[in-house]
Amino acid sequence: MTSGNDASGKLTRRALIAGAGGVALTAPVLAQKLIREGVIDLGLPGGPSERPLTPSFPGKGEMIVQRIRPPLLETPMSVFNEGTITPNDRMFVRWNWDMPTSVKAAAHRVAVGGAVKAPVSLTLDDIASAGEHIEVTAINQCAGNGRGLSDPRVTGTQWGNGAMGCARWSGVRLKDVLAKAGVDAGATRVRFAGLDVPLTDGAPQFIKSIPMDIAMRDDVLVAWGMNGEPLPLLHGYPLRIVVPGWFSTYWVKMLSTIEVLTSEDDSYYVAKSYRVPAAPITPEDKDFDTVAITAMPPRAFITSHADGAVVARGKPLTLRGIAMGGDAALARVDLVGEDGLLLPCKLGPDEGLFAYREWTVTIPNVAADLPNIGVRAATITGAVQPDKLNWNPSGYARNVIERITLRAS
Amino acid sequence: MRALLLLIALGLLAGCDRAPEVTFADSSITLPDDPMDLPDLPGRDAVIANCTACHSPSTMLQQPKVNREKWESQVKKMVEIYKAPIDPQAVPAIVDYMVAVQAQQADTEAP
Repeated sequence: MTSGNDASGKLTRRALIAGAGGVALTAPVLAQKLIREGVIDLGLPGGPSERPLTPSFPGKGEMIVQRIRPPLLETPMSVFNEGTITPNDRMFVRWNWDMPTSVKAAAHRVAVGGAVKAPVSLTLDDIASAGEHIEVTAINQCAGNGRGLSDPRVTGTQWGNGAMGCARWSGVRLKDVLAKAGVDAGATRVRFAGLDVPLTDGAPQFIKSIPMDIAMRDDVLVAWGMNGEPLPLLHGYPLRIVVPGWFSTYWVKMLSTIEVLTSEDDSYYVAKSYRVPAAPITPEDKDFDTVAITAMPPRAFITSHADGAVVARGKPLTLRGIAMGGDAALARVDLVGEDGLLLPCKLGPDEGLFAYREWTVTIPNVAADLPNIGVRAATITGAVQPDKLNWNPSGYARNVIERITLRAS
Repeated sequence: MRALLLLIALGLLAGCDRAPEVTFADSSITLPDDPMDLPDLPGRDAVIANCTACHSPSTMLQQPKVNREKWESQVKKMVEIYKAPIDPQAVPAIVDYMVAVQAQQADTEAP
């Protein structure tokens, strides 16, 4: 194995792949390595894998730059080892289209229309007084989180696993805002638009809709607060939709229009994009039915140790990380290996159905290297992280078990 | 936590005549520059003229290596779905450039 070690004695990625012995491997979640000051390697199979790290975006700490304009900023995985709430300055940033860089609070309006009794144009104060103020702790995760780790690779934003984060969102219930206009009988969906608009004439606007039963949930919000602060502009100031348990594509930012529909939504980003195969496919399949991506599946990550890290042989080893149930409560997290190593993890405090939960596990005695270990989350409704990637051509909803290798020394 | 929320809620209900407790201030940011760091290969001018209005050069250089047909279909998607005002004459040069850039990247990243 010596030939697979680099000058610092760390196991190289090539050696890991070569040493995998036929096990179907996906790129390890914490393959992230700081290459040099300001450059991180995301461990994307086949590359290009290096990305700039910069603190130069307004209101943001050090973030991985996926795109400058409109901004796509990824959270370094090390942030998730610091707690179950992601600070505002480290939360990932994702815009489909260009957004305004300035918003005047007094001039902002939210139009509520479509299949309603009386269309209204609401000020921010109207929204804030629309009902009871609610706070929900919820994970905000991009549908394409982990896309760059797909194998075979797919086009799109080449995220590692950092297009996610958990915050305390505060606002009013969407249903209380809808009540200001009065929803008509026969309403099927509620559609949202924000201030971000296409750069080209005739291109589809980024609008998204959710079914009526989701819209009327007690925890679906029109939110203005993020971790006790006003929403930062990069996160959708002044208002964004929050749909706990659903991917953030529905969490429309800079909310300016709420439209009640009486039919299915045939708009581009619902009917044509953000869709996944209705049944599992292979990369060779071309024609298959699709469904809109909606609720999140369970995921878990080791955050205490990076891939290739060296641990003490003959000693106990405690691993730590975060897990999520997605749209259902987390039931358990297990440490899994490639040859039967399997230990139940201890779950930390329950911070809510839709929040990250810390887990820890102690291996009593590290006798040898720990190749391809991972953690597997399961929900109370029976959803379990799969061993094999549910590959799809858009790289959506990744939730394969993420694995790392630790060396005993 | 639930109890605390309830207390806040009751407080709100009790005082529904008063102004909302949330205040909104104007918000404004300045984004960093987006440098035009595209390798000097044939087709660069066509890419700058037709693609960079929407695509950061940095993003264009971060895509996984795909074949010429995939790049052709990507350009087609930009024209047909996203209504990109791309000069049809420039399409072959754009595709050539992306293929050449990725070949160059593969050379520099090869082990």
